Amino acid sequence: MTSLLETPAPAAAGHLALRRGAARVLLTNWTGSSTVPSRGLYPHQWSWDSAFIAIGLRHLSVRRAQRELESLLGAQWSDGRVPHIVFSPAVPLDAYFPSPDFWRSSTAGAPSGAPAGTETSGIVQPPVHALAAWLVHLADPETSRSRGFLPRVYDRLVAWHDYLTGPRDLGGGGLAAMVHPWEPGMDNSPCWDGPLRRVDPAAPGSYRRADLDHGQAAERPTDLDYGRYVRLAADYRDSGYADVPGEHAFAVEDPCVNALLIVSEHALARIAAETGGDPALHEARAARLTEALVARLWSPSDGMFLCRDLVGGELIPERSVAGLVPLVVPGLPQHVVDALLDTATGTGFRLGEVPMAPSYDFTGHAFDPSRYWRGPAWFNTNWLLERGLRRYGRARAADALRTAMLDAAGASSFAEYVDPFTAQARGTRAFGWTAALTLDLLAAARNSDDTGPAGPAAPASALPIGART
Amino acid sequence: MLRTACQEQLLPGDTLQEKWAFAQDAGYDAVELRSKGDFHFRGRLPELKQALADGVIMPTVCVDMLHFFAAFDDDLRRDALEQMRSQLSVAAEIGALGVQTPASYGMFSRRLPPFEPPRTEEQDREVLLAGLSELGEHARREGVTLYLEPLNRYEDHMVNRLEQAVELIRTVGLDSVRIGIDSYHMNIEEADPSASVLAAAPYIGHAQVSDSNRFQPGAGHLDWPAWIGALHSIGYDGYLAAECRLTGDPLAAVRSIPGFLRRSGA
Repeated sequence: MTSLLETPAPAAAGHLALRRGAARVLLTNWTGSSTVPSRGLYPHQWSWDSAFIAIGLRHLSVRRAQRELESLLGAQWSDGRVPHIVFSPAVPLDAYFPSPDFWRSSTAGAPSGAPAGTETSGIVQPPVHALAAWLVHLADPETSRSRGFLPRVYDRLVAWHDYLTGPRDLGGGGLAAMVHPWEPGMDNSPCWDGPLRRVDPAAPGSYRRADLDHGQAAERPTDLDYGRYVRLAADYRDSGYADVPGEHAFAVEDPCVNALLIVSEHALARIAAETGGDPALHEARAARLTEALVARLWSPSDGMFLCRDLVGGELIPERSVAGLVPLVVPGLPQHVVDALLDTATGTGFRLGEVPMAPSYDFTGHAFDPSRYWRGPAWFNTNWLLERGLRRYGRARAADALRTAMLDAAGASSFAEYVDPFTAQARGTRAFGWTAALTLDLLAAARNSDDTGPAGPAAPASALPIGART
Repeated sequence: MLRTACQEQLLPGDTLQEKWAFAQDAGYDAVELRSKGDFHFRGRLPELKQALADGVIMPTVCVDMLHFFAAFDDDLRRDALEQMRSQLSVAAEIGALGVQTPASYGMFSRRLPPFEPPRTEEQDREVLLAGLSELGEHARREGVTLYLEPLNRYEDHMVNRLEQAVELIRTVGLDSVRIGIDSYHMNIEEADPSASVLAAAPYIGHAQVSDSNRFQPGAGHLDWPAWIGALHSIGYDGYLAAECRLTGDPLAAVRSIPGFLRRSGA
């Protein structure tokens, strides 16, 4: 394993304190089988949070990182979906809304194969899991093999991707569709403003938000948005969580979700090769998805990918960071890559000029530097952009972004998100994936600073850097 | 980087100098001494001073007796206190940091018959506080530290978890009393050993290591990176001292420990 926590990086004396602080967050948020995103605001297990957390946790404890993913996949439905929340039975019902008695997965979800003994939500989040599993494996292949980690998760990950590319191909164009604004993970993105207008909000008195007990109202979604979220979730639940083309009041194809699906499909190919399976099936599916991504979501006039509204049938004219995330996808056409890089550094996102890319176009009509996914900069999307920059040969820009992220993570006490101009902390603090991705960036920074030859006892964390999917 | 130490009885050699040569070759940074009763440890002073003069690093001492400062029997308790005072003084004389002791060992377990100890919990607490105060004051005067080691429930019935040691140390109120944690006992007693390290952070003074089965680190199933990661995250700068039994070839087992701990993040 790695000696990440103690080795001072020659490039930055502050890295030691940063490592210790990030490790402390992950140790504090660990529950025994998974990591809560934050102790107050998010007291259960979240799907894509767990994947990003595992990517950092592998530098602290590979066993915990494996367990993080295994415990999430343990709550998978038999139709293949990985629920966006796995509820902890130890947490009171009123600690988070919507709570298990809203989702009623074990009863309402039974027709779709929800587990009987575990309460979950019925919607999903972006599929970062196969990528995370592969990176966790690379952190310590020996422990991974001795514990049978990859064989244990492979079938579940395949079923997950089968679900997304099967029942969730609601548009019929070969991409996964999301049926609730919470599913793409960017809950109140301006991308959803248009599609949400068609949705009648649930009556304000019919539910009670718990997020405002912990977060500031000005940094959270509005009440009107929340009423629509509740309506969509209740309708989906009342349908038995059935995925039926044409039946959803909200259905979108999101470039970030599908980019992560592609990257994870490439990771599945590697996992298949490692476990004696056939990587070609996964590479073929990744290639089909990549083609569909460009065909269905690329907007040449915007120089980036947009979301597609499957109800209205059009691309949604809102530019969010989700449209830049496909930079992580290998094998994009060169003109797409060039345009994405131009857009990332242009007036809309100003990468290289501001500390981190905002979640939404600076010049957009709905831009708000404080409100959740309507402007603030997030660490997971910027971690993905950092990988994308590196993939397409922009190492210096990637290094600069990495440095800015590390500075922001430390200065903000591992905030959930930050002001995109000033990197001031927003949202909750001691946030799981911010701390986890900090550890991952520190490991990468340390390895890229290594100038001496790697001895036989070189830390295994050196591996993931040279083995990007 | 955390430093590693090996208890002297695990090292081959007839003298501390020979043991130290082996230890250094295996990658250890220090030797942890074992201190027997009947003033045997005091009797070793010439040997210890010579070893010190020869460059042997001996920062910590672990008591090696069959009765301890919280014994039921008054005579044994008084003797243990006297021995500990002497051992703390010897530690000071050779420039060591401190001496580690449990409250008791093998005296009583609430998990084994007859299940109810002869003293009440209140009486136990009085004895513990009196002993820790007396030894802590002595350690303070000598400029060394007394490390109180929580043991698992089968070996001691009074101090099993870090939080219990923290409460006692807070009550005693002496900086010269700290916790000497032990990975093996923590594995049995703590719900989350890493979280317990964080919770007890200001009180942790020393750390002993052995795996889940009491064998050398690496021979069991403890999550070492998480535990050592927690020690790093609290800024612990003491030693990881191997106090364990050995499985496999004994010399190879002893040699394996520093490298294993290093690969686990030490």
